[in-house]
Amino acid sequence: METFSSLADGFAIALTWQNLLLALLGCFLGTIMGALPGLGPSNGVAILIPLAFTLGLGATPSLILLTSVYYGAMYGGRISSILLNIPGDEPAMMTCLDGHPMAKKGLAGEALSLSGIASFVGAFLATWGLIFLAPQLVKIALLFGPAEYFALFALAFMTLGGVSSTNQAKSAFAAALGLGLATIGVDTQTGVPRFTFGEVHLYDGLDFLVAIVGLFALSEVFIFLERRHGGSDAEGRQLKIGRLYPPMSMVKQCTPTMLRTSFLGFLAGVLPGAGASLGSFISYSMEKRLVDKENTFGTGDPRGVAAPEAGNNAAAGGALVPMLALGVPGSGTTAVLLAVLLALNITPGPLLFTQNPDVVWGLIAALFIANFMLLAMNIPMVGLFTRVLMVPSRILMPIVAMVSFVGIYGISGSSFDLVVMIGFGVMGWVLRKLDVPLVPIILGTLLGNSMENNLRRAVTIDNGNWWTLVDSPLAIALWSIAIIGFVLPLIVGARVKAKMHQRRDEEGAISD
Amino acid sequence: MKLFGTGGAIAAAVFALSGAASAQECIAPANPGGGWDFTCRQVGKSLQDLGLIDQTMQVVNLAGGGGGVAFAEVVNKRGEDNELIVAASAATATRLAQGAYPGNTMDQVRWLAAIGADYGVIAVAADSPVNTLPELLDQIKADPTSVSVAGGSAVGGWDHLKVLIAANAYGIDDVRAVKYIAFDGGGEAVTQLLAGSVQAFTGDISEAKGFVDSGDIRVIAVLAPDRLPGEFAEFPTAKEQGIDAIGANWRGFYAPGGMTDEAYGDWVGKIGDLYASDEWKEVMAANGLAPLDLQGADFQNFVAESVGQIQTISKEIGIIK
Amino acid sequence: MSDRIFGVVGLLLAIGFAFSALAIEESFLSDAVGPKAFPMIIAAILGLSSIVIAVRPDAEPEWPALGRLVEVGAAVVVMIFYAELLPVVGFVIATAFAAAYLAWRLGSGPIESVIVGIGTSLGIYVIFHLVLGLSLARGPLGF
Repeated sequence: METFSSLADGFAIALTWQNLLLALLGCFLGTIMGALPGLGPSNGVAILIPLAFTLGLGATPSLILLTSVYYGAMYGGRISSILLNIPGDEPAMMTCLDGHPMAKKGLAGEALSLSGIASFVGAFLATWGLIFLAPQLVKIALLFGPAEYFALFALAFMTLGGVSSTNQAKSAFAAALGLGLATIGVDTQTGVPRFTFGEVHLYDGLDFLVAIVGLFALSEVFIFLERRHGGSDAEGRQLKIGRLYPPMSMVKQCTPTMLRTSFLGFLAGVLPGAGASLGSFISYSMEKRLVDKENTFGTGDPRGVAAPEAGNNAAAGGALVPMLALGVPGSGTTAVLLAVLLALNITPGPLLFTQNPDVVWGLIAALFIANFMLLAMNIPMVGLFTRVLMVPSRILMPIVAMVSFVGIYGISGSSFDLVVMIGFGVMGWVLRKLDVPLVPIILGTLLGNSMENNLRRAVTIDNGNWWTLVDSPLAIALWSIAIIGFVLPLIVGARVKAKMHQRRDEEGAISD
Repeated sequence: MKLFGTGGAIAAAVFALSGAASAQECIAPANPGGGWDFTCRQVGKSLQDLGLIDQTMQVVNLAGGGGGVAFAEVVNKRGEDNELIVAASAATATRLAQGAYPGNTMDQVRWLAAIGADYGVIAVAADSPVNTLPELLDQIKADPTSVSVAGGSAVGGWDHLKVLIAANAYGIDDVRAVKYIAFDGGGEAVTQLLAGSVQAFTGDISEAKGFVDSGDIRVIAVLAPDRLPGEFAEFPTAKEQGIDAIGANWRGFYAPGGMTDEAYGDWVGKIGDLYASDEWKEVMAANGLAPLDLQGADFQNFVAESVGQIQTISKEIGIIK
Repeated sequence: MSDRIFGVVGLLLAIGFAFSALAIEESFLSDAVGPKAFPMIIAAILGLSSIVIAVRPDAEPEWPALGRLVEVGAAVVVMIFYAELLPVVGFVIATAFAAAYLAWRLGSGPIESVIVGIGTSLGIYVIFHLVLGLSLARGPLGF
């Protein structure tokens, strides 16, 4: 097997003391950056580029450091999602839905360990996928023209109903709000400013990081401020920490979920422009459709934690396929990695695998190493992470708020962004009161521009013919799934809702 | 949180990464990872490696408004700063020309020097029946709806203007009829060329190189005055096909308008020395940058000229009035 | 009742959004769809879902008493001050004050608040600036 001997060569390149130390450092810094709200994988990698330069690293060691940061951030995002209900980065958003309810039930340790395992499975399988399927998968990416991308995004939004709220109208409202916010800024197709009110800061549009940190982190702070004398903070924050590691039965129960969502997430990652957020989102909503017979997703179902984590880590690996094989970044982070490769005099593209095999196989070996290292690092540290929950909220919340501010300010250097973030915080607080889900808003701001641009590209290429949107078998298939996904919950919706009410009454659960 | 603090302190001790206030500062008017950010970091690193500056150059990201936020900041708040340079490119000139930085013009800052240029290319898929630029433009002339041209910039952006400059030079009167499809970056545009969604690609030579080497796409014209050196020499220029069109995406720097002549001369000298060094030639080769040796007043005139040219063509196609 | 008000506000928002979408100045050079079409579709979805929310409201949420609203409002004001003063007074000082205020309002005693404020500020400064090398706002004192 040629592949295996190449892989062995890769390990020979990657397994030096220097590289292992770099991987360890990268994993550690990456995990922290992933966990801090505001700093995600893409900024994390970008911030550490100067470190790679300062240390005078060669191509392979630099890549090892930076991909460790990348994978580390993908692992780290889940920590604050589960413990604080604040996603550390955008793909970890879906992990909040079941991860935080689990923590509230006293299962924080289990949720963290399980999500760590799911992350490992996703990333591990994706790395194998990268090895064996990269050349073939590129052809899948080439099947997606603008019309197919539009259908894919429509699928994501149409299957949204019921994922994060029981009221579909409110989900739809939130999605439309997010999509509307995404249209702010200079229209990339024609260059005219839209909804900017002459404010130059808005010309580039709203940064979704500002939206995510405001909506999740600051609104959380407001909720604590509001409740301080309400008496509920005492029982709200004094969470019990049960056992740290999940029982085998829980892992077993989640295994099929992890395998399915790894595959799905990997595919989403391979498509340029879809990325890890879509990967974790689709993984969660598909898995909910598939296995959520009892309707326990959203209330702390372990499978609801495993699905998005396996999905987003697999997508992170998948996103490397188009970057390496086409030179097209599949996500913000791979865009930064691409810039690094170019700086190192390596041109990713169809010939990379034959022209720079040492770099490619060294990188793949590094991914394996980073992945094992992260698992080894994350599982024993679960106990340490859960200590965060013991910090009283009157101390924890100011820290969360200030970290949110500095995360945004450190990237953009703009007070304007901070004020917008505060605005999002207030909006998030009000919407939470009204039981409007926040996830669709983020998804809308994340995907809105791509969705609109692909719609317009498709129609423009076909000279104004809107039927072009359903002109290929792939597009028709995607639309069919989307329509089924949209209509089905409407039909069974009433039944589900009745059930939900029944259970709520039984458990007396408080949802925020 | 305490955990993070301790870990951070350890990492700080181990690597002693000095982030202390340093004298020189480079503003990258975009988020980390983009072209401008890269210009700042690469130049900062090379200047230090060559000993032209003694401290690490502090790179500050000031994103927003396609560079407009940074431009306004420099003009309004940092106008007298002698230790500040800002990364710029043909995109900066394009936006200035089209008035996309409200209330700002190119005279409000001092233009320092260029560090290289990326020449434009027009390419088609390897299996395309089109072989030369005139053939492609003939097709557009006959039926503009039959050819979609993909590029990585917005409508009216630099990639778009390159096609229009070529079409204009070929005598297509209503260049607005040229069907241009904007993608998020050149890589995505090339992918759609391979996927067969579009018929032609306009972009920079560095974006196309990997796909040319693999034989997936064919460059039918380079928008450079002469054939490029080295491995790029096999591509025909637009000029030798009888179409007088040149499009260079230059990279360079500007400085605050109130910078003293002494400091200005100092910076021009430093970047000039950097440009002349062998190390920089390697960086240029690695990044597919072609030579563009312009400093000080020459560069100022070059930017003024290119702003004028973009203004003319933008008026012609109706992006600005 | 809250949902009914929310639905009406949402509907007004949708109408406002649609009107400002119509007001977008189109350049000469437009694609086949144009910059208005997508916002109009969004406005329609926004409006429709708002109507449904208003017609079929959920159970009433628990709104805080006036005093608590003032508390949240005051925090918003402090945060805005923080955002605006950050570039003026520098990161460390501004952050220490803002964090101390929040800690105090969340129930810490005066001394604890000050410690939390200064600790948060310095901790963030070390991690973000010294370790990660991000440029934070530099005040007159250089930090």
